[in-house]
Amino acid sequence: MIRWKNEKGPFTSMNNVLSFALLCAVSSAAWSQWLNYPTPGIPRTADGGPDLAAPAPRTFDGKPDFSGMWFAAKTVSDACKKEGCITEERMSRLQVNLGLTLPDGLPYTQWSKDQMKVRMANGGRDDPHAHCMPPNYPRAWTLPQYTKIVQTPGLMVMLHEFNAAYREVYLDGRPLPEDPNPTWNGYSTAHWENDTLVIDTIGIRDDMWLDIQGSPITSRAHVTERLGRPNFGTLEVELTVDDPKAYTKPFTVSFDMAIEVDSQMLDEICLDDEQDAQLYE
Amino acid sequence: MNTTKRVIKGRLVNALTMALLDLTLATTAFAHHSQSEFDSNLPVKVQGTVSKVEWKSPHARLYVDVKQDDGGIVNWNFELPSPNTLMRRGWTRNALQPGDEVTVSGYRARNFPTIGIGKVVTGKDGKAIFAGSQE
Repeated sequence: MIRWKNEKGPFTSMNNVLSFALLCAVSSAAWSQWLNYPTPGIPRTADGGPDLAAPAPRTFDGKPDFSGMWFAAKTVSDACKKEGCITEERMSRLQVNLGLTLPDGLPYTQWSKDQMKVRMANGGRDDPHAHCMPPNYPRAWTLPQYTKIVQTPGLMVMLHEFNAAYREVYLDGRPLPEDPNPTWNGYSTAHWENDTLVIDTIGIRDDMWLDIQGSPITSRAHVTERLGRPNFGTLEVELTVDDPKAYTKPFTVSFDMAIEVDSQMLDEICLDDEQDAQLYE
Repeated sequence: MNTTKRVIKGRLVNALTMALLDLTLATTAFAHHSQSEFDSNLPVKVQGTVSKVEWKSPHARLYVDVKQDDGGIVNWNFELPSPNTLMRRGWTRNALQPGDEVTVSGYRARNFPTIGIGKVVTGKDGKAIFAGSQE
């Protein structure tokens, strides 16, 4: 496992390499599932629970270490509890509308409004997520499945439970490519601004959705995610989308992710038993 | 746009969002669904015997044989949360077995009379089996 400076002393890049190699090896094999395995290196309170207010762990070079399993801090469960309904507990309210917390909502262009009218007219049945397509960041932050960050000095990997997906973020100083082949997550590089990791992403596909109501994002988008970890238990995400085709101006949405400890990723391969598409008609 | 208009527009946007959110909670409840699938205007509550449990992604499924007034049996197919979600609530793939008597309430599929999305599952003793911490 990755060890943190403030817990077990500095960790080496070799430790990271070995940890990541082990993670990759384990991910592809049948594994035991320990959802309550007490993980070493977690700051604890007197009762044995995680000390969420403890200082954020840092890497050997003093940067915040964002490694860990994360889920949306504010979820639809809050509303659902009133009904006692069954829902995916970890789904962020921003999954329903990414602009929920903005006074004016998202600044849609007319093109976007037209797109969304079509997308909602048929009940969202063309949502890629509803057809088991891969999770796409930044939308993936707000899905009910977990993101697991594995951070090394030159590369951050985000593992996502849905379809056992991954995203790479390069921290080695390389520039963004000139004309990347559009993909689900685009191409991401990052740099540090003090304790904030600034991730820049371009090369996202044209047909991606940002939320259930069909807010678009296109290949013209430049996405910036500013990550901060003010304490052990919190990952702050400040998301800015600059997409002149889909939005009249850049917009910024901020949200928190919460740490999950003593647990592990559980693959959710959507196509394993997808039966919902037959119900869309 | 002046402040008043912005506030009004903001409230309208949020009202629409909350309506969509309510619909999401009431019907699909899961991110990986179309809104057209289940209908919150078609609540359903059935009592019967578990015939099969499917413990697969993206949704566990509970099949229940329900006796009809005419003596026939109808097999209902109820969609549940993902096995991952259920496991994190302490459920296991063996929590329900064929032959168990259950009552399931939820919502019916819009166009399929014996397919539904499970909201609450209670056992023979009337206690909720499945709703976990949210009940």
